[in-house]
Amino acid sequence: MEDSGLLARIQARDHGAMSVLFDRYAALVYAVALRVLKDAGEAEDVMQEIFVQIWREPGAFISGRGSLGAWLTVVARNRSIDVLRRRKSSASFELFSLPSQTDLSSEVERNALMEKVRSALKALPEEQQKSLEFAFFEGMSHSEIAEKTGDPLGTIKTRIRLGLISIRKALQS
Amino acid sequence: MNFFEHIPDEDLALYAMQALTPDEMRKAQEHLDQCTHCRAGLAEALGDIALIGLSVDQEPLPEGVKERFLQKIDEETARIQAMSTYPKAVRQKSYGWIGWLAAAACLAIAAYFGIHSFDLQQRLNTAAGQTAELAAQAERAQIILDVLTSKQAVHVTLTETKQPAQPSGNATYLQDRGALIFYGHNLHPLPSGKIYELWLIPQNGKPPIPAGTFRPDPSGSASVILPPIPPGTPAKAFGITIEPAEGSSAPTLPIIMSGQ
Repeated sequence: MEDSGLLARIQARDHGAMSVLFDRYAALVYAVALRVLKDAGEAEDVMQEIFVQIWREPGAFISGRGSLGAWLTVVARNRSIDVLRRRKSSASFELFSLPSQTDLSSEVERNALMEKVRSALKALPEEQQKSLEFAFFEGMSHSEIAEKTGDPLGTIKTRIRLGLISIRKALQS
Repeated sequence: MNFFEHIPDEDLALYAMQALTPDEMRKAQEHLDQCTHCRAGLAEALGDIALIGLSVDQEPLPEGVKERFLQKIDEETARIQAMSTYPKAVRQKSYGWIGWLAAAACLAIAAYFGIHSFDLQQRLNTAAGQTAELAAQAERAQIILDVLTSKQAVHVTLTETKQPAQPSGNATYLQDRGALIFYGHNLHPLPSGKIYELWLIPQNGKPPIPAGTFRPDPSGSASVILPPIPPGTPAKAFGITIEPAEGSSAPTLPIIMSGQ
């Protein structure tokens, strides 16, 4: 069943659908949280919190918001960074939209995409890789990265942007 | 950064990762609240950073994690059921302590059964889940009834733009509950990979709100019942577009059916 069908059934309080959704994405959400937090207990807390919130408010994610898997990845990362910074998230639930072309509901397609992303990331110049890692996984601001690396602020911004563009292009090719 | 102009792509990527300074984050948010162009750019940036998340090596889930999760949602369901079945009039009179007392009593009872009979506890949980499901279904039925019978509900007939009016749609919308029911008739079949998407166009000039996707059955009929729309959203019009099968966050022109 597609993600949108599962969400509709979750909205009708279908435990079975919630269980399927959990099986589909829990490992992905947990892996992202663990990579950021480096603590299994905290990563599980973040993951549980996200899925409980989907159970509470399935309507907060609607089909028009794009790929559920991509959205969960970003939410997992942002919640983990919030924990890392020891501050409460300002938004009760992330209401952003994503492009909808990334279908992560199929495990086979998801694994193939992950492999492509890893290769694309490895192919980036080291400075771009580092800047992306500092910003994405360690939650550092551009000025903190500039301070850490000794590079100008504008250079950091450009590296991050170019890194993201390169990965997108690598996936489109 | 000058946010009277559009936000540069570099800063959108940083905003998406919460990597701007707090002051820059606030200014960017203010601009994004007003600018559909930059919101589209942000969606693209978020899609890019989601890809970074996919580079993470997969890890096995901790043992028992799913059982813990299912237990949590059972508790959540029981809590919602307790809230929804509690007499409304009593709740409105601020007898909050009664709720706490009831919750405490439930906890005590649950603890008692937990100690003396795990099996009985399991059956209680199942029953609570079923009751909650029934309560949720009853609440949904009540909303549908309200939308269909309320004098405040707006009834809109949608017809195909620039075409003979065989395909038609009927939207019934109750603003204060954000409740919408749509029925379409004689709709054209769609090619594979495409879907119809219904949009609520707000009165306040904000971007169209996705109000559900649908495919007509062989007779050309389709419906959208209670899509998630924020309560209180004023509707200026409704429209339908054809979108990729997974739906879109912004309508793809042309709008093939509309009504106001």
